[in-house]
Amino acid sequence: MSNIEQPVYLEEKLEEIYDSGRLDYRSKSFPTWCPGCGYFSIVEGMTTAMNNLSIDPDETVVVSGIGCASRFPFFVNTYGFHTLHGRALPVATGIKVANEKLTVIAVGGDGDAFAIGGAHIPHAARRNVDMTYILFDNGIYGLTKGQTSPTSVLGFKTSTSPFENHDAPLNPLMMLLSYGAAWVGQAYAGHPHHLAKMIEQALAHRGFSYLHVLSPCVTFDKTTKTYKNLGMSVRELPEGHDTGDIMAAMAQARITDTLALGCYFKELRPTLGDGLSDITRRAQGKEKDNLRKHDKPKKSRTNSATKVPRRRAAV
Amino acid sequence: MARAQKKSTDIQIAICGSAGDGTIAAGDILKRAMAKAGYKVIAFDVYPPEIRGFGKCISRVRISSEQTYSLKPLSDVLISLDDSHAIPHVVEVRDFGAVIYEDTPVSMVPEGAHISGHLLLTHLPYGVPFRELSEQVTSSARSRNIAAVGYLAGLYGMPRDVFYGVISDKFSAKPASLTQINIQAFDAAFEVGRDTFRLDEGHLNPPPSNARNGDLMMMSGNGAIVRGCMDAGLDAFFGYPITPATTIMERLASELPVKGKTMLQTEDEISAISATIGAGYAGVRAATATSGPGFALMSEMMGLGAMAEVPAVIFVSQRGGPSTGMPTQTEQSDLNIAVFGSAGDSQRVVLAPTNVEGCYKCAGKAFEIAERYQTPVIVLLDLYLSNRYEAVELPAKNPFKENCSKPVGKLKKDQTYHRFEITKDFISPRAIPGDKGYRHVVTGLEHDEKGRPRDQTHQKMSQKRHEKLLSVPRLPNINMSKRFGDKGKVDVAIIGWGSTFGEILEAMIVARTEGIRCAAMKVVLLSPLPLEPINALLNDSREVLVPELNYEGQFANMLTGATGRSVTRLNRVPGTPMHVQDILDEIRRLAGKKPGKAKGRKRLAAE
Amino acid sequence: MSAQTHIVIIGSGSAGSEAALTIRRRDPECRITQITGSKLLFISRYELPRVFNGVSGWRELLAYPPEFYDKNRITVRRNSWVNRVDAKNKEVLLKHKEEISYDKLLVASGGGGYLPEGLREFRPLMNSFGSYEDAVKIREALPKKGHVIMLGGDMTGLDLARTLVGVGHRVTLVASEQLFWPHEVTDDQRVKFVTVLEDMGIKVELDKKVVAVKQGTKGKPARRVVFDDGGGIDGDAVMPFCGLMPSLDFMIGADVDIERGLLVNPELKTTNDSIWAVGDVCQIWSPEENNYLFYYGWHYIKEMGKIAAINMTGGKKTISTHKDDQLFINKKGEIDSPYWKHK
Repeated sequence: MSNIEQPVYLEEKLEEIYDSGRLDYRSKSFPTWCPGCGYFSIVEGMTTAMNNLSIDPDETVVVSGIGCASRFPFFVNTYGFHTLHGRALPVATGIKVANEKLTVIAVGGDGDAFAIGGAHIPHAARRNVDMTYILFDNGIYGLTKGQTSPTSVLGFKTSTSPFENHDAPLNPLMMLLSYGAAWVGQAYAGHPHHLAKMIEQALAHRGFSYLHVLSPCVTFDKTTKTYKNLGMSVRELPEGHDTGDIMAAMAQARITDTLALGCYFKELRPTLGDGLSDITRRAQGKEKDNLRKHDKPKKSRTNSATKVPRRRAAV
Repeated sequence: MARAQKKSTDIQIAICGSAGDGTIAAGDILKRAMAKAGYKVIAFDVYPPEIRGFGKCISRVRISSEQTYSLKPLSDVLISLDDSHAIPHVVEVRDFGAVIYEDTPVSMVPEGAHISGHLLLTHLPYGVPFRELSEQVTSSARSRNIAAVGYLAGLYGMPRDVFYGVISDKFSAKPASLTQINIQAFDAAFEVGRDTFRLDEGHLNPPPSNARNGDLMMMSGNGAIVRGCMDAGLDAFFGYPITPATTIMERLASELPVKGKTMLQTEDEISAISATIGAGYAGVRAATATSGPGFALMSEMMGLGAMAEVPAVIFVSQRGGPSTGMPTQTEQSDLNIAVFGSAGDSQRVVLAPTNVEGCYKCAGKAFEIAERYQTPVIVLLDLYLSNRYEAVELPAKNPFKENCSKPVGKLKKDQTYHRFEITKDFISPRAIPGDKGYRHVVTGLEHDEKGRPRDQTHQKMSQKRHEKLLSVPRLPNINMSKRFGDKGKVDVAIIGWGSTFGEILEAMIVARTEGIRCAAMKVVLLSPLPLEPINALLNDSREVLVPELNYEGQFANMLTGATGRSVTRLNRVPGTPMHVQDILDEIRRLAGKKPGKAKGRKRLAAE
Repeated sequence: MSAQTHIVIIGSGSAGSEAALTIRRRDPECRITQITGSKLLFISRYELPRVFNGVSGWRELLAYPPEFYDKNRITVRRNSWVNRVDAKNKEVLLKHKEEISYDKLLVASGGGGYLPEGLREFRPLMNSFGSYEDAVKIREALPKKGHVIMLGGDMTGLDLARTLVGVGHRVTLVASEQLFWPHEVTDDQRVKFVTVLEDMGIKVELDKKVVAVKQGTKGKPARRVVFDDGGGIDGDAVMPFCGLMPSLDFMIGADVDIERGLLVNPELKTTNDSIWAVGDVCQIWSPEENNYLFYYGWHYIKEMGKIAAINMTGGKKTISTHKDDQLFINKKGEIDSPYWKHK
């Protein structure tokens, strides 16, 4: 994280950006976020990561729910689906089931994910849907102009908690780790280079990857999760942290007075797609057994033995 | 018995027992065998809401030589496998019909607990030692239900061979000895039945010679939905268990993977519709199935489907509502939510088949319509239609088209793709993720033709979403509405939808034999309404009757709203199908005839 | 009587039905249950020959329509067989294991066709004539101009015989000691009446002893009756008419005295205070004869039902034990019997 302290020269920077090719991944839409919003760095991190991984934008869908964060699909140059409040994950699951070849990225904010959409996270995680979920956590509802969210800190005063928030905040990392997410990491919008690397890792992981991005809301939160406060509380994971050790990951996630950045946990296990292929294999095997048993062929419209999603070539 | 001489057959058997008696299995064997034998068959099972224990099951099977359209309110034969459940249904047996019951209970029963004490004096009792028969042949009472079917088959002279085949099929997954045991139990009881002197007035004459043996398939409404889905090439199904839609999901769970396709059980109905919309967006044929409570949860996503113009098919099997309501009772009260239920206003496509064959057609057509019009399509069923069985003949050739999506044209240099381009027919060429160079974002926000959020386009885009569906009523190869009965001017027109149309048709047929000029119309497309044929019928009719199984008259309201014509409503919510007699009485009243002499028997809606 | 009183009548024939109706007239409150093994409501045995005269269904033969029972609030338990009567606990135990408790019990179970011991093994080859089902079965067993061999010759049989002859069938009567039963005829009368029978078209075989009933050989009629002299006759059906035997097995152990029938006093009460008996099942004490006697015939039987009902509902009436029924020759020159005049 030392690189952000080095001086940056605009011309060099612009040159570097144009040369990198990552602007191909930016859309022509101008972000609707407030100046200074941490989310800008997530767009930059995403385009950088996709560029580094040479992900085909025509084969990519970014799915979001509702909220400031969920405007994200408009700002990247891929296919995008701006869905309903809380429903990014099930829609993304449907897309991935429909076409396993697509790179599916779900994005959303803390309210979208952990309040209205909370029921969907464990299931996307346990099924190990091969997609990346990037969670923009600013601890507040920004699009509706500053109300308490499930990750708002205790004592936070907002328009809906004028006498201070008394509801303990969730610990999203603990949740995701216990849900069985196959890749769990945390990044901070104030550390864009690290953020980009984390996005890259998350995208590269085969399985359900969850990246929690800490970000300030510069407009509606002047007291709790500011750049200053977040900047002071973030730290690196301890040296030698074992990303294969779920207990170590949980031990780190439980520490909330300081917030460790990096990959907490990762594992490779069969994805939803693997499971569906297995079901198909078994079903077709069983069908063959039945054929033998009854000794009469059943009518079949497709001869394909493998799972080939119905696709229509673009004209 | 003079009636024995007539050649036609129309006999309805009700089998009533406790969960675990094999009641539904017995009914299943009976209906499949009779369909195989070449009869027309309609069947409907009623299950208990409880899974285990002693809940009541009833299987009703109507066997006829001529096509019928509904079950009869009174059965010709009642078989009791459990007297405590069957006793309330004795009154649903017609005069001079038969009640067949267990004559050898395991233990003593107190006075009044045996069904023989509850028969009307016009009923014919047949006490049969089912348990003993089963035990003698199989050394267990477990084949009691098969013995009951065997006795029935013997008593009415049903062809024995077809039962062997059906019983073998039924137990094909089990050890061969089990098939043998059950066939033995069937045979033993068949002989007892054959040697029993028959005194009741139910008759089974040989099926008409033109019946095509074996070509008719016994199929439930939900089973036909599954066939329609499979024939239409359903790629992905997402669902959450809910009565009475669950069997669709269960069947697809077995059938889709065989074709390399997917069934995924989601965490709730919201996820089910979300994933369906996601998959539809990604370009495959996707569907979900639910009932009222689940459908209520889905309504927000329905709106997104309309707004983002994503194809999806939603099967909704209605049950008693509101809220959890009556999960195992039938009703037609989700019409409003199907047609209107979501935020904002938007035209919908809602199809409601009226019989099992219609379930097949509507299921397959729904995918074509969803794809062609890029919008969610709702197929509205109800418990009665989902669970009822009919002998249907499916087309030999798959009738459904594969890809109905409007293709995108080649883009010129620097030309950007407009996902929501307003065209002559208001349908935009549609690209899907993976198509090279057509990247775009779709959103639930109001948007412009490119898909970018914009409020100023709302009038124009609302018009686009409305107008594009106006050609749905004229789609070929499906009856969006159909008129039956008298042509030209009529005294009474009966307009109905969904499963109730069977009862409507039966009532109309009787009314016509009484000299009442009447016509019946089924409306399959409930949104947008096929107003042209509806208005034509209204103009021909002096009185209009709209019978439906909901309290508020939801369809009647829609008809009146769309046509300005006031109609006579017939609303019943007994949880069971509408009685033909009720419709008939209303037709007579509207026609100015004195109401028919009501049967001197109170009706029990016992289940 | 209190509303709870439950009167159970075993049997739904003439006696039982008459009793039920009389009880209802005298006591509008009590519960009345008739138990019968028949699947059908009461059809008089004497109505059954009508099956050969164009009656096409059992509904035309019912003695009372279903509404009669509903109107009089008489419960009829059809297709129900009594296994046992528990007089101590006042319960009737049905074959299908239902227990029915009674306050007062009337046994009106009648009699079944009697079959001499030597013929019992041939029962499967013979047609009986006790029920509507039996009647239809014999009708269907007979070809046009069929030949019925009757054994015995009781009055029920002769009633059927004259019907069968009337519709074109042939009847051969192999007479036995039960000829004209239950009428008692002198030897002279017997000779005279047999002649009349022959004149009516019924062939009568006297002094033949039947030793076997066999399946007919191929090409011959369905049955063959073999005599002790080695001869025999062929026919399409064989029907025994050897009088009636009281149906009372289920009363054994029910704390009532039984000789051949249930023994009752002239008030028709058995030796148990809660049990009465009427009809063909009972033997009535006749002070004149100083003996228990059977009384047959529709008129008697109906009278018995009425008197038992009166006595069961607090009245007191005795039956006339005087017998005056005689076989006679009517104006048409045919034999006739008061038993046949039941309407």
